[in-house]
Amino acid sequence: MTIKVLAFAGSPRRHGNSETLLDWVLAAMGKDPDVSIEKVALTEANINPCRGCNACEKLNRCIQRDGLDIYHDKIIEADCIVLSSPIFCMGLASQVKMLVDRAQVFRSRKYVLRLPVVPPERKGKRLGVFLATAGQTWPHVFDAAVPSVKCFYHVIDIRDADISYLMINGVDESGAIVSHPTAKADAERLAQNVIAEQKKRLAA
Amino acid sequence: MTVNVLGISGSPHRHGNTETLLDSFLEGAKAGGASVEKVVLKDLTYSSCRGCNACHKNGVCIVKDDAIALFDKILNADCIAVASPIYTMGITAELKGLIDRGQYLWARKFILKTLYFTDDHIRRHKGLFVSTAGQNWDHVFDGAFPAITAIFNGTGFEYYDNIIANNMDEYKGIKNHPTALADAFAKGKKVVGVLMAMEPAGP
Repeated sequence: MTIKVLAFAGSPRRHGNSETLLDWVLAAMGKDPDVSIEKVALTEANINPCRGCNACEKLNRCIQRDGLDIYHDKIIEADCIVLSSPIFCMGLASQVKMLVDRAQVFRSRKYVLRLPVVPPERKGKRLGVFLATAGQTWPHVFDAAVPSVKCFYHVIDIRDADISYLMINGVDESGAIVSHPTAKADAERLAQNVIAEQKKRLAA
Repeated sequence: MTVNVLGISGSPHRHGNTETLLDSFLEGAKAGGASVEKVVLKDLTYSSCRGCNACHKNGVCIVKDDAIALFDKILNADCIAVASPIYTMGITAELKGLIDRGQYLWARKFILKTLYFTDDHIRRHKGLFVSTAGQNWDHVFDGAFPAITAIFNGTGFEYYDNIIANNMDEYKGIKNHPTALADAFAKGKKVVGVLMAMEPAGP
């Protein structure tokens, strides 16, 4: 059994707090020999914003030719999709919002054209993970990001109940997450739980 | 006194529901006697915030592009109407990209302490959020408000009002909405009236 994990590092800053959190999750997942991981840094992925042209409602594909051409197929093929973002101005980084908005092609496929996003036998077997870090200490600092994340997973056929979250606030300076008392252990535990659940789903 | 009203259209889609609603607001503001300008973000060239934090040292963004001139324009306006359709339960990436670039103003306020807006300044600067959503959910705008609050706070504007209309999919467009366009016009006229009626700012 191979478990395909596709991970998006959403921060414009490479190897900062949110990417470190992602790396902890991926390292723990990667300890399992059945797991194959692909990590993509969105700042290098050449994904443009959605143009709102609604052409995908007719064409079943996006009219833009850019990085999403590659990740569109990978999003369908993956078993587990991990998305990480820093919180900028109380929401997802705009680099992440670009990816999330471009999932409109999946929403058109699902709700306008009434076509499957994944083959029926893979439905309910995909899992999502959302990782975020914020400099602010407010507990509500992630509230505006979560609905967009839920929407993204929903249109790519990952159910609301199948998304795991790890969101760490109060990590402001570069590298601050390393000194966080629980983040690393939480990341590793989340990774183990997700892979165990993923195996159960794929075996079912 | 001239009231300067700046409309910022964050939709990638020209003359769609949100921009039409913004246009009604701006027409109302004009009818109220304001000087009105509209900026369309998709016609500008600016990149996303790099998160490099260079601005934390000197309050200046190292990326020189159209975003900086637009922030200057925002800081010189008396009233701004920031418009975005709801995409994926939030504002568009174009508008989020602009708002994130305001980090250098945040750095001036909170790290360098070289920028400060008095309560009186904020009272005299009104910000409005203009938005439409296809979904009929009442909570469809909730993910947008915090980022809008962030840009108003960062640029010294009071978050004065929302001009928002959901359920566009059902209405088949803003033009078929029973009240939205007229309400937007009325709110444009009203906010200009409120600003004009204020006593002159002190020395």
